[in-house]
Formats: sequence, C-alpha cells, structure tokens
Amino acid sequence: MHEMKKVTLGWMAIVLVLFPILLLLGIFMRAVQANGLANAEEWFYPFMTLHGVGMVGVWYVGAMACAERVIARYTGSNDGLSYVAMGGTVAGVVLLLVCVLGGKFASGWYFLYPLPFKGTWPIWSATTFLLAMTVMGAAWLVWSLGLLVGIARKYSLSHALGWHYIGGATEPDVPPAVIITTVSLLAAVASLLAGVVVLVFFFVELLFGIRSDALLMKNLTFFFGHVLVNLSLYLGVAVIYDVLPEYAGRPWKANKIVAISWNSVLAIVLMAYAHHLYMDFVQPTSLQYLGQIASYASSLPPAVVTIFGALTLVFHAKMRWTLASGMFFLALMGWAIGGVGAVIDSTIAVNAKFHNTLWVPAHFHTYMLEGLVLMVLGYFYHYVQEHTRIPESGLVRILTLGLFVIGGYGFLATFYLSGANSVPRRFATYPAEVAHGATDSAVGVMFAALFLLGLVVFTASALRRWFRASSDG
Amino acid sequence: MRHTSLWIGISMMLLAPAVWADASDGQRIFQQSCAACHTVGEGKRLGPDLEGVTKTRDSAWLNRWIREPDKMIAEGDAIAVRLLNEYGRVPMPNLGLNAEQADAVIAFLASGSGAALPAAATGIAHPEPPTGEGRGSVQNTASIAFLAITAIIVLVFLYVARSTGNPMPVDVQKAYKLRRVFFISGLVIVVGLLATTLFTTPYPDAAGTPDRVVHVTTLQFNFVFTQEPVASAQDLQTAGRIGNLELPVGSTVEFRVTSLDTTHGFGIYSPQGAVYAQTQAMPGYTNRLRVKFSEPGVYSVLCMEYCGAAHHLMKTVFTVRNDDHA
Repeated sequence: MHEMKKVTLGWMAIVLVLFPILLLLGIFMRAVQANGLANAEEWFYPFMTLHGVGMVGVWYVGAMACAERVIARYTGSNDGLSYVAMGGTVAGVVLLLVCVLGGKFASGWYFLYPLPFKGTWPIWSATTFLLAMTVMGAAWLVWSLGLLVGIARKYSLSHALGWHYIGGATEPDVPPAVIITTVSLLAAVASLLAGVVVLVFFFVELLFGIRSDALLMKNLTFFFGHVLVNLSLYLGVAVIYDVLPEYAGRPWKANKIVAISWNSVLAIVLMAYAHHLYMDFVQPTSLQYLGQIASYASSLPPAVVTIFGALTLVFHAKMRWTLASGMFFLALMGWAIGGVGAVIDSTIAVNAKFHNTLWVPAHFHTYMLEGLVLMVLGYFYHYVQEHTRIPESGLVRILTLGLFVIGGYGFLATFYLSGANSVPRRFATYPAEVAHGATDSAVGVMFAALFLLGLVVFTASALRRWFRASSDG
Repeated sequence: MRHTSLWIGISMMLLAPAVWADASDGQRIFQQSCAACHTVGEGKRLGPDLEGVTKTRDSAWLNRWIREPDKMIAEGDAIAVRLLNEYGRVPMPNLGLNAEQADAVIAFLASGSGAALPAAATGIAHPEPPTGEGRGSVQNTASIAFLAITAIIVLVFLYVARSTGNPMPVDVQKAYKLRRVFFISGLVIVVGLLATTLFTTPYPDAAGTPDRVVHVTTLQFNFVFTQEPVASAQDLQTAGRIGNLELPVGSTVEFRVTSLDTTHGFGIYSPQGAVYAQTQAMPGYTNRLRVKFSEPGVYSVLCMEYCGAAHHLMKTVFTVRNDDHA
C-alpha cells in the first residue's frame, strides 16, 4: 500500500476507534448528572478528564491528518513525521488511560494549576498525566514544525500566508488550504510552546517544590487550550476549502480578501483567549477589553469570507450531494451556530452570568460536534470513498445525516437550556438550586444516544470502504 | 426527694437551651464546613459517615482532629494516619475552627439528631427550592438573540441547499457586492454591540466605596466568610469567622475572594436560582466582587470552577434581609 495512504488510513482508524469510546464517556457523564447511575458518581470527574483530553486530542490529530493529506497535493508529504505524531499520540493515550483508570486522576482537560497537585488522586497519577501531555505535546510540536518546513520548501512564508495577494499580485497561485494550514500551524506552534512552558512550570514544582504564579499559569493554560481548539477548526475549514469545490463543480480560489481574512484570524485568535479570564478580576482590565474586542472581531472573517464564500460556492451549483459533501455543508452551519453562542458568551456583561455554566460546553460542543467532527469524519469518508468508489446508499446517507442533526442538536439544546438556566458545568450531580439540570441531562442522554446511533451507521459505512481501501494496496 | 427531682428538672430546663445552642451552632458549622465531605447517617463521601463518631472516639481527640488535622497527620497520630490511608490519602483540611466551634460540632454530632434538628433552631436559613427558572434578564436576552440568529443561519443554509435543485451560473460581481454589504452591516453591528456592552463590566470601580466588605476564603471544599483577610489556614482562627452572614437589602457589598489551595469559583445564586454575580478565587490573589443586593432572600453560593472530587458539593448560603437585623 502507498505509504501516504497507509498513514491516512491509520489516523482514520485511530479516530474511529477513540471517538465512540469518548462519546460513551460523555453519555456516562450526562447519565450521572441525570441521577441515572447510582454509585457511579466517583468516576464522573476522572471520566470527564479522559473525555475532555481525549476529544480535544482526537479532533486535533484528526484535523491535522486531514490537512496534512490535503496540502500534500501541493507540498509533498513527509510520512515519517506523521508516524512520529502517531507514536506520540498512542503513547500519550496509554499514559492517560493508566493515570485515569489506575489513579482516578481527574484534573479536567486543561489541568488548571495547581489542581493536579491538590487532588484526591495519588501523585504518581498526576506525574503520569503530565508525562502524557509532554509526550503528546512534543510529538505534535514536531509534527507542526515539520509540516511548516514542508510548506516552506514549496512556498516562501509570505506566499504561504498569501501576502502577495494582499499586495495586489495574483501570482503565484497559492491554494486557500495552504494559506489556512500555514496560519493554523503557526498558531499551533504558539499554542504548543505555551503548553510546554506550562508543563515546565509543573515539573519544576514537582521536582524542586518551586511554586508558580496562578494567574500566569491560567493565562498560559487558556492561551494553549483556546488556540489549540480553534486551530483544529481552522484545519478542518482548510480541508473544506479544498474538497467542497470538487462537489460543487466550481473553483474556490484564494484572493486578496481570503488572504486578509486568514491573516487577521491569526492575529485575532492569539488575543481572543483572554475571554476565558473575564472572571479573574485581578487580570488587567485592558486585557479583558481586548478579549471582548478580539472575540467579536474573530466572528467577521469566518462569517464574511469563509461561510459567505462557501454558501456562494454552493448557491445554485450543480451540487453532487453525497454523505461527505452533506457533512461538510452541515459542518459549516454548525461552526456558524457554535460561533454565535461563543460570541454571545464573550461579551463580558453576559459572561458574568454564563461563565462556567453549561452555556460554555453548549457552544464549544456545537462547533466541535456539529462542526469539526463532521469536517474530519467527512474528509476521511471522502478519502476512502475516492479510493474505493463503492456506490453510496441514499438511505444510509439520510439516516446518518438525520441522526447526526437530530441527535446532535437535540443534545446541544439541553446544554443551552441548562446554561441559560444557570446550571453550572462540571457538576457530577446537581444541588437543589439547580436541580432542573438533572432533567435536561436525562433528555440529553437520549439525544446523544441518537447521535451515537448515527455514528454506528456512519462507521459501518466508512469501515467497509476503509477495509476495501486497505486491501486494494 | 421531690425537691431534688424538681431541682434536677429545673436545672435541665435551664441547661437544655445552652446544649441546644451548642448543637445548633454545631449543625450550622457542620453544614458550612464539613458537609461537602461528610454525612451523618447517609453514608461515606470523601470522608467517613460521622453517625455515632462521638461514641467511638474520645471527645478531646475529636476536638483536636477537627482543629488541627494537618498537625496530627504530621505527628503520625495512629488513628489520623489510618483514616488518611483508608480514605484514599485525602487529608482532612485545616478549616481554622477554634476549640469552641469544634465542641459545637461535637455537640451536634453527639445530639444524635443528625439532619433532623429543626431548621428554626439552627439559626441558619436553608435555601428554599428555587421558585424561578434560573434565568435573569441577561440570560433571557442572550438566549433570545442566540435563537434568533441561529434561526436565520439555518434558514439561509436551507435556502442555499434547496437552490442546488435549480443549477445556474452565479453572478460573481453581484455576490461580491452582497459580501461588501454583509461585511459593512456586520461591522456596524459588531462596533455597535461593543460600544453598548464593553463598559458594562462587573469590575469594581476604584472610586466607589462599598457599604460593607466581606472576606471570602475558599478551600477544598468550603467557603469561609471572615471579617479580616486570610492568607493561611492559621489566619482562619483569628480573622473573625462570620458564621451566619446577613446583609441589608439595598446595600453594596464587596466580597474579597481568595483561595488557600486551588482555583475555585464564587458564584452567587439569587433566591430564584439564577446566577447573580460571580468571580474566581485564585491562590495568591484576591478578586474584589462588588454586588448590590436589591432583593431580600436566601442567596446560595456555588463553586463555579472545577476544584476536585467534591466540587459539586461545595456551597454555602447567606441572607439578605429587608429589616434592621442585618
């Protein structure tokens, strides 16, 4: 089998194995919140940690794997790099399983300082968790830098970022996917470096007992987390820029507006993280204002350029509607809706009421579950379908998309409703003040089960193509 | 003999309120400081079920264990170390209680009434189940805006998807013009929203003066109100613990919130169960949250930042009164 194909199929297998498991952990959490699983409460926070780290990691590597394959058409591929990332990811997952299942480690996915050292878990599990983060972070940093080097071999940095378009030139022709991937990889390097600094501070305290500043650690942690999640989405969008035109039968070229848009995204995403610290009143107020301005500004380029561009591309097009193109189209809608929820929450006055309520997972689950997940799964499906050309069943297509939409948005609606009703996030069970959260959770479980059913149907269809693509060599 | 019985009876009647007061104080302290990790007769949480503990443990030992668990563990007290090992090596925190407060907790535990003490006798108002839906005006406005914009997005996507049933060329110049209109409209909306919302912040105005300052110390899994600031567990004994916080309606109160261990959230819930105000509690920092209470009632405080195994059980209450007692 061609090495490039083998790598992509490998990443697809990892995503298809881990996603249902992590989804089940999410359903478990909502079931505990619904008081539906007696005596399972003690596993809520460890599984919340596994679910969070796992989902962020899976969709980051999934998006990277898709973008890597897409830009390989223009820059060539370096599969060794991808194997390094794969090895690091698998090793990290094993370490995560050890610390969570063996030590009930439960610091949450962003392991806010100094909680890893203040928990009810043994110190070895905290150390193992930090090692897992280190292994994955190092592997992903190498992957990101390697892909940037690959792009640099084909394009100069200014061309890869589309600055020549901004200057008025139309040549050389740089695909939007390359521009967006370059922006995302630069953001990835910044994010992962911040993550490295956080880990160094943790290890310094672990080894030498030197404590860190909680506010500095919080800024670094949220910079790392916020940028990592957003750039994962951008990588997914890069893939859509490249693949959706094939289904619409129209080109989607880079130009001045696209270049301005994505360069501004790079600047804005690095500043918008500050909205995570609105409720830390000791943070300089100027940074709080910057957080809201950057968050609001971040809505314009995607809405005006990407979403508008995608809709124009599809509008009255001779569209080839397949499972993949349907997922891409829905993913853009999910990204837009989740973005609206995020921008509303990024208003300081609103955040004072919504901060750390279920409105927060509501909006990020929207652009993850109904955005990035559909982008990545859609691309993997597109990839194996292109290699196998197995005729697609209309029934499977409708069933999959229908269950993804009904199950997904029904599940999300319970989060939004709870968030609007002041139910806090990350509560294993609800006290009397917010007891109504349990009912929302129970309804959420039912809708999540529908989404899971959709995933089973999708996976059956995708795996058939995966095995055929693997055996075709 | 009759006289003796009479005197014993009178003595008991006179002493009973004192014992009752101890036990009721103890219940209040128990609910505020111990209930996140312990129950009385309802099974284990992070720590043991304390039903009958006064029969199995010496009261002097219990008193010191409540006051100085950290020191007893460090000294290698056999029972303390055994409990530490039995409960997943989760050490009982030093909550800064003094000897009298520890005695009150012991009296409550010895009373054998557990949670059955009448609320009226406890001196603490328990939160009634919320009467509202947990939504204030901000939550309502934000939800309506979200639903409206979402509906527009869905309709536009449906319209575009349906248009593919009728393929035809698209006038790109016309699309670019529409995009320009879209961009300018979006820019006006964004700038307008920024202008109207940006300075509506919860951050305290340096020039203003609150009617009252309350210091809040958070530690796994408790909120402690004090008169004076607290920088360590030892300070909790001398900082003037406020057992039953009552505030006058209409007053502006500044909560100075810090943490002695990890990051917590200080989320105030209105009597209707809606988030009223909040800030974070960080070790090494003090966040000043200024709140004006315009409505009387019992306000709950929940932890709004995940802080460990009993995070969801970390809560306290205070009362806003519209009389002169506050």
